[in-house]
Order: sequence, then C-alpha cells, then structure tokens
Amino acid sequence: MFFSIAEAQETIVMSVLNSRKHRLNVSDNPVVGVFASTNAGSTWEHRGWKEYIRTFYTEADERGVLWSACGNGVLRSADGGARWVITTGWEMTEVLKVAVDPSNSSIVYAATAYGIFKTMDDGKTWQEKHIGLPMPFTSDVVVDRSDGKRVFAATEEGVLFSNDAGESWKVAGLKKFGVRTIAQDPSNAARLWAGTQDDGIFRTTDGGVTWKSVNNGLRHKTVYTIAVHPNNSAIVYLGTHGGGVYRTNNGAKKWEQCASGLGNPDIHSLLVLKTNPNIVFAGTLNGGLFRSTDSGKTWQFNSQDEGQVWGLSSR
Amino acid sequence: MGLILQMKTTAIVLLVTMIGCSGGAQDDPLFATRRARLLDVVSREQEKSPYVIASKIHKGVEIDRAFILLDSLTYDKGIGGMFYAYSLIGTYLYTQDALPDSLKQKVRLAYQNRMMYRGDTENHWVMYYTGLYLAAQTWPNEPGETWFNGKSSEENLREAAGWLNEWFRISSTIGQGEFDSPTYFITFVTPMIALYEFAADPVMKAKAQLMLDLLFVDFAAEHLEGNYGGAHSRDYPEDIINPLGAPSTMWAWLYFGEPRFEQWEETRFRPRNRGGWEAVFGALSSYRLPAIIRSIATDRSEPYVHTETKRVRNVIRFGKEKNPPAYKYTYVTKDYVLGSLHGGILQPIQQHTWDVTLASRKPYNTIFTLHPYYSGKELGMFFPEELKFLSDEVDRYHLVYTNPGKWNSSSPYEQTFQHRNTLLILYKIEKGVMQPHIDGFFPKNLDERFVHSKGWVFCRLRDTYVGLYFIKPGEWTEEPVNWRWRSPALKNGVIVEVGSESEDESFQSFQNKVLSAKIDLKGFDKETSIRYVNRHGMEMRFSFDGPRILNGKQINLTDYQFFDGPFVQSVRGSGIITIRYKNQTRVLDFNKATIQESH
Repeated sequence: MFFSIAEAQETIVMSVLNSRKHRLNVSDNPVVGVFASTNAGSTWEHRGWKEYIRTFYTEADERGVLWSACGNGVLRSADGGARWVITTGWEMTEVLKVAVDPSNSSIVYAATAYGIFKTMDDGKTWQEKHIGLPMPFTSDVVVDRSDGKRVFAATEEGVLFSNDAGESWKVAGLKKFGVRTIAQDPSNAARLWAGTQDDGIFRTTDGGVTWKSVNNGLRHKTVYTIAVHPNNSAIVYLGTHGGGVYRTNNGAKKWEQCASGLGNPDIHSLLVLKTNPNIVFAGTLNGGLFRSTDSGKTWQFNSQDEGQVWGLSSR
Repeated sequence: MGLILQMKTTAIVLLVTMIGCSGGAQDDPLFATRRARLLDVVSREQEKSPYVIASKIHKGVEIDRAFILLDSLTYDKGIGGMFYAYSLIGTYLYTQDALPDSLKQKVRLAYQNRMMYRGDTENHWVMYYTGLYLAAQTWPNEPGETWFNGKSSEENLREAAGWLNEWFRISSTIGQGEFDSPTYFITFVTPMIALYEFAADPVMKAKAQLMLDLLFVDFAAEHLEGNYGGAHSRDYPEDIINPLGAPSTMWAWLYFGEPRFEQWEETRFRPRNRGGWEAVFGALSSYRLPAIIRSIATDRSEPYVHTETKRVRNVIRFGKEKNPPAYKYTYVTKDYVLGSLHGGILQPIQQHTWDVTLASRKPYNTIFTLHPYYSGKELGMFFPEELKFLSDEVDRYHLVYTNPGKWNSSSPYEQTFQHRNTLLILYKIEKGVMQPHIDGFFPKNLDERFVHSKGWVFCRLRDTYVGLYFIKPGEWTEEPVNWRWRSPALKNGVIVEVGSESEDESFQSFQNKVLSAKIDLKGFDKETSIRYVNRHGMEMRFSFDGPRILNGKQINLTDYQFFDGPFVQSVRGSGIITIRYKNQTRVLDFNKATIQESH
C-alpha cells in the first residue's frame, strides 16, 4: 500500500542507480530504483518499477508529486510512486538531476548529459534551454529558493547562472573547474556551495558573483555531494570520492573528515534531516546507504548493501 | 489515428516496396535452401529463445512446446530490457496467426506492463524504439494507463517514429556511431528486419528497407568469406581474435552465402556464437537482399580500396563536437582485408583500430596490434557517471576493460596511415599512462611465423603473406591460441605489408620485396615520424599528429566521403547512397525514401 508523500512529516527518497546485485537485462531488480522511508531510515519501501532504468535522482515537490531523473528520461508519479509516467520524449535522455521551482511546482528543470531542459506545464511538454551553454553536459541544477528566475547549473566548465528562468545562461564562475554539484544554503539564499571533480569545494556568499576556494583540511578534492544543515549555515557536509564524508562546524574555516563506520569511502549523496538534523544519511557508490545519528561523528550501515545510492532527497 | 496523421503529413514518393519485390530481389538460388536449413535447425533447439519459438511455430515443430516457451517468456522476470522487448514483439508478430488468444493476451500484458530500459547507446535505442513502434502499432488506441511508461499507444508510436526517423537521417548522412561492428551488427539488422516486415506505415517500411540495404552494403564492401573485414567501432575481444565466430557471420552465411560452412556446426565457434539465432528473423522475413549487394559481398576478382567517413559515438563532454568524423580505409582482395581507422578515441571500450583479416577456414585468422588504454576520462566522454568509478563499473559488463592484455581498445596514443596493402601505425604513449605498452596478436596456427635477421616478422597463412616491422623491440610470449608480442616502448611504430601469391608470387619473393623497402627513422625518436618507401616504391611520410604524405602529396582525411570505392559512393551529408556493380546501379535516397535501380 502506497502512502501520500504529502501526508508524511518528512519522507526520504533514495535513488539507487545500480547495485552489484543488479542483473542486466532482467525485469525484476528490486535492488535498484526509488526507495522511500517515513521513519528516518528505519525501514525502506521500494516504489514503482523494478527494472533497471538508471535512476539518478528523485525528489518530491510540495504537492507530493515525485519527479525522477533517469536514463529513460524524467518520470513523474502523482501517487507516491505507485504509478509513473515518463514525461519526456526521445530527445531527452541521461537525465542526471531534476529541480522543482520552489515557487511553482509545475516548473521543473532537468540537468542532462545533453543539456538543460525545462517544463512549465507539469511535465506535459519540455523545452531545451541551451542559450549560452558552453557545453551541453550538465550534472546538477538548482533553482534559487528566493527567486525562481535565478537558476544555477553545474557543468564541466564551471557554474552557470541564469537570471531569466533558464532562457539564457552565462558562466557565473569557476570556469576552469569541472563542477559536479551545487547546494544552496537553506538559511541564506545568497550562500551557495559548489563541489568539483578535482579541486575541492568553493563557496559564494553573494549569490554566485564571486566564488572562493575553501578547502582547509579537505584532503580529498573530489566532491560529488554537499548537504547544509537546515538551521545552521556553519555546519556543512561534503561527500567525497575516496575520503568519505567531511564536515565543517565553522562555515568551512576547517573541514574534518568524519568517516568512522563508513564502509565505503566513495560518497555520492548526502542528506541532513530537516526534522532532526542530527540524523545524516550518506549514499555510497557500491556500498549502499549509511546513517549517522550523531551529526556525522559515527556511521552505521543502513540499507542497500552493494548499491549505488546516487541521490537522496526529502520533503 | 496516429498512423493516419503520420502518413498524411509525410509527402514521400514510395517506390521502395515495389522495387524490393521485383528487380532488386535476391537471385541467389541457394538462399531458399539456407533459409530453410536455418529454420529447420533452430526449430529443433530447446532453449527459451524468441527465435527458437518463432522457428518451431513456423515449421510446425513441437508447437505445444513453443507455446509453453513463449508463455514462460511472458512471466520470466529474469529477462527484460530492450533486447527482450523487440525480440518478443517480433516473435509475436511472426507467429500471431498461430497463437491462442490467451497467449496473445499474455504477450501483450508482458510487453505493456514491464518498464523497459531504453539504454544508453545506439544499438539499445534501435532495439527499444523498434520494439515500442511495433508494439504501439499492434495494440493501438490504448490509453497511457495500459502502458509501462504511462503513454498512450499513439504517443508511443509517435515517439518511436520520431527517434527512428532521426536515426535514419543520421545513419544515412554521417553514419552510425557503432559502425561496422561484427558483434553489434545483429542489434541493428534484426530490429530492422522486424520493422520492415511489420510496419504498417508504408513510409516506415520503406525506410526500414533502405536501412537494411545500407547495413548490408556497408558490410558487403568489407566482407570476405564470412568475415567482417577492416576496422570496427566496437567489437568483443572474442570476435576480434576469431572473426568468423562473430554474430555477423551468421547473417553473411544467410544472405551472402559465405562462409561456405554452417557456423553452428563448427565446435570452435560454439562458445562464442552466443546462440542468439537472430538470423531467424531474416529467414522468416520477406526482405530479400538485392542481388547487387550480394555480388559486392562475394566478387573478389579485383582488389580495391574502400574508404568511409563514419562518426564517433555521441560525445557528451571533454570534446567540442558531438559526433566527430571517424575515417576508415580498407583494402580488400580475394585473400585478405587490411583495414584501419585513423586512430584516437573514436569509441570507448571496444574499438578495433586496425587488422589484417585472412581468408581462411582456420580460426584466429587475423593479425593486429593495439595500445590497451583505459581511463575514466575516456569513459566520461561517453557516459554521464562519475569519472573516478566508471572504469570499475564498465569492467562489470565488459570484463576486460582494465585488463592490460585486452584485445580491444581505443587509444589517444595510436594513429595510422594506410595506402593499399601497406599500413603505418605510430604510438606515442604519454608517461604515467596506465598500461604503457603495445601488444600484437599473432595466431599460433599460422603456417609460418618467423623473425628475420633484419627485424621483419614474416607470417604466412596459405597463400597470404604478412610482414611487420616493429620500430622498437618487444618480447614474445605464448598464449593458448596466439603469440603475444609486447613492447614497453612508449614511442613505437609498426610497418605492415600484406601480400599474396597473386600479388607477389611466392612467399620468398614477398619477403625479398619487403626487405628491399626503405625505412627511414631519422626523425622517429624526436618527432615520432617515419619515412617509408614500400615494396611498390610508394613513399609514405607520417608523423604523430602530423600530416600523412603519399609521394609528396598530403592526404587530407577530410576529403573522404561518407562512402567511396568501386561499389559504394556517397557524399557525406547527402543522404543518398549509390551502389554500383558492373552495369547495375542502386541508389538509396533516404531523403525521399526511395530506391532507384538501373541496369
């Protein structure tokens, strides 16, 4: 029995891209796809299809509608994941991330291997938004919580910025860096973080105008995911490749590795629960999901052993 | 409704289906025999394969058993995805007149209820969208709720047609990305056979026929006695070292009549012939290979040069072009095929940059070298996942990707320059690169292989001769079916000369000519350049990342057309492919979806 995401206090949605247990060309793969938990990760429930379609990331909008970024396109579910519709056509493939406009859930952006796409009608139609994109490959997209016309995108040629809701793009910074992920501070919209392929973490405090490298203490410079404490901007977590999770308590003056108990050092997704920020989840590449109940000091294996937990989100 | 709409909005002259059944039809009298033989053999197999099921039902052999197998396919969750999808709907359509209604319903539900992985590469998309097109056509007017992807029959049909039409356009103008692949050939030709056979829309049917003709003539121009000769965009290592074991050989046997033995009867091929029996769809189809294409595949009375410009698979990052050109040069004789790609990374994982394939019934009838390169960045050019774990991830499916002894690889440190039966290969490997060596494959069952005192390695298989000169030294090691030559020199090069009794008389005469060729390596250590005057007196100058100069004239690869040679010509981007053989001409016009023939 599926429940309504909107009715839950905080539902965590986990996207498992792949798993060592997954078998190619098999239609029953309950180890990949979308999973949800309504009890802070005590139990998980598989949602929807069990076929491998490369599920990169899934998030719920304020109505509880689920949007999933997949190899097959952008999938949408209005019933908590029981039934899904592929909203995109053949033109959109390898969708790595979706971002719902916080001010209008009918507007969704998709970061794909072939560019940025946008729907303004709840997924009925999609338009490519490539004006100003130096290269199509885009791994992340973030809609400014304070202004839906401001959109950021992570590319191999830096952070791109649009101030006209994706109609045009320009490089906001970090032009020489392969940017993999962007996160906006929940408490301060002008503060954003950018994780890079080889050059660590960067921060802007002026809405993307200037960026500063803040790598003190960060020994592993491949940053695939960032999570900011929901109520305290000074606390930020980084998921690195090879170094597990790093955390700062002081706004990146110093990063400290907090990998005790992490069974896999390659982190691709992080989530700090809004309802209990002491609980942090770390999704690994091939090692499944880990949970910390003490703000990252120690970690315990949670679920999806051997799974690639590519994306985590909650609402 | 979708079909009608599509037909109304497509103003295309349709000559194709008429031609396909008339003057262009296959006149090979033994085709019917081979076709019947294949169906007979496969109908007696017992595996749970769509092709076995189709054969049994077609032949009336163990019908009840076939129904049981098909029934079990409908609920077997151990299989799925695009490979399953198109073969299931194809088998259904080939056999539907014999199926009980209950089984028909099960197939329909199996297709519609399973979320199908669309895949991430050209062959996946061809299979997925061909299957979806035929399924949506077969079960029309059904709402999104009845389909796995939430789209109605008409929406699915429209989407599938959209992708297929785009693929036809690209494949006929700048070529396939997964071009000339002995391994993956079946993943293109089998869906196209099904599409040709069952597309109700005459335009789609016509385009499927055009695509089949293109696939087969593309193969035919580089074909030699069942071998898919020349360089390949993608190939499994088993098929690279044993070309007649490749899946494409079954189709060559069915349509070209070569090789002159049945692949499945040869025990040496059994481990690698993946038992797919895809050629059954061809045997059941009304598609007939045009006689002109079969003639091109089998007439080796005169040697010829055939060049192509294909394209690189979709580059999604670390490159300025989405589909840069891939230049091919192939020299075909009755005894061998020597072929090469110009070099560099044109495909991830499975590229086969050059080889000489020898006409022989012996297995392992090939010689080649490669740099077994791998890197996360190479994979990142083509796959969207993270660079630092892509190598391990690819190893899960293509088990040899990081193996230093692998037999398939692209490399940014390998470039070639070919003129007829002479080939120069240069290697300039950067320090610090993983697997800093080059390997050479020499089958153990050559009739002769020895190292001459002047440094040339001479090989003979029957009446075909190969000479290789390695610029830097290497070592030989013995492996189960081959000798491996390996050199750790980062800067290296290979000169290849290939000949035969008909070209050079005796093996000794060939050796004498090759030994008299002039090798000038004065610029090699500094500039990785070579000047070579081959046994025919042709001067070839070649530098890594530099020009290719033949008898003082620079060869511009950009001058290569889509196809150019005695049998196939096409201007890149035109969408028109002209096939010639003696006084016959067949023109494939993808723009108008027409075929014109003249005699």
